[in-house]
Amino acid sequence: MRLVLRGGRLLDGAGDRGVHDLYVRDGVIEGLDLGGAVDQEVDAEGRLVTPAFLDLHVHLRDPGQEVKEDLASGLAAAAAGGYGTVVSMANTDPVVDDPGIVADLVARAARVAGARLRPAAAISKGLRGEELTDMAALRAAGAVMVTDDGVPVADSRLFRSACEYAAELGLVVQTHSEEPSLRDGGVMHEGAVSQRLGLPGNPDAAEAVMIFRDGEVARLTGARVHLAHVSSRRGLEVATWLKASGAPVTVEVTPQHLTLTDESLAGFDPVYKVAPPLRTADDVAALRAALAGGAVDSIGTDHAPHTLAEKQQDMLSAPFGIANLEVAFPLLYTRLVAAGELPLERLLWLLQDGPARVMGWPAPRLDPGAPADVTVLDLETERAVEGARFRSKAKHTPWEGEPLKGWPVATLVAGRAVHLAG
Amino acid sequence: MQETENVTLKSTIMSPAEFDRALRRIAHEVIERNKGAGDVALVGIHTRGVPLAERLADLIERFEGTRPPVGKLDITLYRDDLTEISLQPVVKRTEVDFDVHGAKIVLVDDVLYTGRTARAALDAVVDMGRPAAIQFAVMVDRGHRELPIRADYVGKNVPTSRSEIVHVLLQEIDGTDGVELWERHG
Amino acid sequence: MIGAAAQVPPPPTPPAAAARRHRHLLDFTDWTAEEVVSLLDTAEVMAQVLARPVKRVPALQGYTVATLFFEDSTRTRLSFERAARAQSADVISFAAGGSSLRKGESIRDTLRTIEQLQADLYVVRHPSAGVPHQLARWTNGAVVNAGDGRHAHPTQALLDAYTLRAALTAAGLPPAERERPFTGRRLAVVGDVEHSRVARSNAELFTLLGGEVVLCGPAALLPRELSRLPGVHLTADLREAVTGADAVMALRIQHERLGPKRLPSLAEYVARYQVRPAHLELAAPHAFVMHPGPLNRDVEVASELADGERSLVERQVASGVPVRMAVLYSLLVGKK
Repeated sequence: MRLVLRGGRLLDGAGDRGVHDLYVRDGVIEGLDLGGAVDQEVDAEGRLVTPAFLDLHVHLRDPGQEVKEDLASGLAAAAAGGYGTVVSMANTDPVVDDPGIVADLVARAARVAGARLRPAAAISKGLRGEELTDMAALRAAGAVMVTDDGVPVADSRLFRSACEYAAELGLVVQTHSEEPSLRDGGVMHEGAVSQRLGLPGNPDAAEAVMIFRDGEVARLTGARVHLAHVSSRRGLEVATWLKASGAPVTVEVTPQHLTLTDESLAGFDPVYKVAPPLRTADDVAALRAALAGGAVDSIGTDHAPHTLAEKQQDMLSAPFGIANLEVAFPLLYTRLVAAGELPLERLLWLLQDGPARVMGWPAPRLDPGAPADVTVLDLETERAVEGARFRSKAKHTPWEGEPLKGWPVATLVAGRAVHLAG
Repeated sequence: MQETENVTLKSTIMSPAEFDRALRRIAHEVIERNKGAGDVALVGIHTRGVPLAERLADLIERFEGTRPPVGKLDITLYRDDLTEISLQPVVKRTEVDFDVHGAKIVLVDDVLYTGRTARAALDAVVDMGRPAAIQFAVMVDRGHRELPIRADYVGKNVPTSRSEIVHVLLQEIDGTDGVELWERHG
Repeated sequence: MIGAAAQVPPPPTPPAAAARRHRHLLDFTDWTAEEVVSLLDTAEVMAQVLARPVKRVPALQGYTVATLFFEDSTRTRLSFERAARAQSADVISFAAGGSSLRKGESIRDTLRTIEQLQADLYVVRHPSAGVPHQLARWTNGAVVNAGDGRHAHPTQALLDAYTLRAALTAAGLPPAERERPFTGRRLAVVGDVEHSRVARSNAELFTLLGGEVVLCGPAALLPRELSRLPGVHLTADLREAVTGADAVMALRIQHERLGPKRLPSLAEYVARYQVRPAHLELAAPHAFVMHPGPLNRDVEVASELADGERSLVERQVASGVPVRMAVLYSLLVGKK
């Protein structure tokens, strides 16, 4: 099967290669401007052609919560967002704590037209934080990461053991860093807004304390610990200091924590309810300022879909989570790059080379022989966000109606066009 | 917040002297009909009925030697058009400090038109107690009744068209007494 | 001079009316002092209606008021229902535990079921902040917040303001300025401020009406950032809070709900924060004692103060219906 992307500007972590026709054959990149017969042509003129993004943090809700999302809708949504590979979290029903469940996910995902799936498995059985899972078996079945994400690992002894095993097996440990008793049922950031609104607050101290714990255990055990969704200035400061003192930690930041503040909750709309919570303008500024330097290692979406009915409950009952796979790149491109705050190359790095480095995977490239996971981005056309058109089952988004640029118009995974707009 | 309507003056219906004469006549009629001022009480309907009621009370006192009690009634909460108006009427205090039960109440207002204000006033008074009788005094009856209501005492009958406005002027509010006819345009 | 026309144009029709600015009463965001004082004045007229032999007016005839109490409160619900019936409105009640208000059902779905009955106004109480605001987005009717979690309880603040304004006037201290009746006055609110919607709404309203508010309680129950609100001060020292205060409002403490991790023993709380006669000596000479009710005897307020002549507690309770009548009237009357 041979395919060509015509006339796009080719850009990857190795540099800007100029405007070329990119040929793909049998799932890998073949080369530039080769000519000859093709089975499919994709017009990329005036667009950017770049390796498809890597997301180390999505909730696909499969198995068990398919009403919110499943492999088909989730992986299609990822492709529509320009993602070629996603790491799915383990807090499903049942929890991904058994090799059989991992194998099943891998097998089913192979039959879905969408981004590649690399499953994460749980650190503890049932996410209960009491017993370790059989990490070697889980890895053999296809797990690339262990995480109890959704739930912090409260017991430090357990966390230490998990890190020791993971280090031995070469698995990345992703943490949901919030100290549970300080978090104490908070539904939004604890600060002037939460106190005014009378909603229980979750202070940034809960994040900072746990990041410190997670980083120290990483340093102690040598495990690669990936700090998911760092949301506060304080949390970032602690993580940065830990790195400087030799702890093998990496930092992830999400699109929502880069663009929304706790003021969004003044209207009491649970569409903005997320964990860790949206914080103050100062926290957002700190995270944004850190993107250009080395403090942030990757951007992960933490795509967390729920049904509309669930998000239309009251603020205390509604589940935490924002669904954002399809708007992540346009949002960040428009707010950061088009606004002149961050170079395009750096944003792409945070979505490509950065996550690859965290996982120890080869850096995504457009070189001949590289897997043909490519996305074509339209950086010019401005279009309003329309949740109703999402491939994801979660159609309600905090950014509904926002005019954005940078929409992915095509995504190839293993040389196959799994997303083709219009 | 007052809307300025496009209105022009057409004519003066009552001069201050005519106004004064009409008011005295009404006072005498009230006394005659009720065989004295003994159990008579006046209730002025906000806004302009109130000063009129006070003046009638003064006149009755001059003629009979006793001043009937005067109450002030706000009928806003009894209006029948509250679901239809677009602006929200401000509700004023009602002050009826005497016992309504067994009294001969004379409601007083400046103009009788559709009769809806009078009906609301009747309901309000009846909710305060059971009077022996309720009578109604107005300075001007301008016709166009929409309910079976009539005034017992009328200063002047003035046939009008719906585009006209009858304006009863009062010394206490406007600086002079009288009745004018205005035309509403557009 | 005989026959001289006054040349004074007649007053416009309808007389003395105001454009209705608010569809809902959720909290006092965007409310002006003038609008609130109009409500209080209207409440005085409603109190007159309730003093008559026939305690009813036809003002809301043809309107339907629905009470949705996802959190139990018979007292407040009955107060609203009485306020609706006294104006001849029809009332439909939904209370927690009834089949229509199931836990876990999306509130939007609950509203859909209830909207079949086409109420013009919903009175809503819910344990979570923001539910009235959410419902207001989804319904064509009007919404009155009867208490949402810890966030707001606007009609309580209104009846507190109404009661205090009347008490100050009766004590020979009427407001100098109609629109800001609490200019120069100080209200001390004592207790578990963090969990109190009464504290938040009173702080909002009292300062809107020109006054100063001191919030007082144990530091663990006193949210620091509330000091950012204009006219609001915080202190953990009860004596400092009541000094010079025109009124001291004690809040209900719910010791069982807070637990030993949030609050040391009830005895310690009472020793440090119970309002006693000695405290009133530090306050203004005319100072009043208030409480949103129901009172925990000898916990928040010493019995002798609760029953004494400075206590406004009974008057607060009595003002609930007229104030709520004024709110319903103001939100409903107008083009249906």
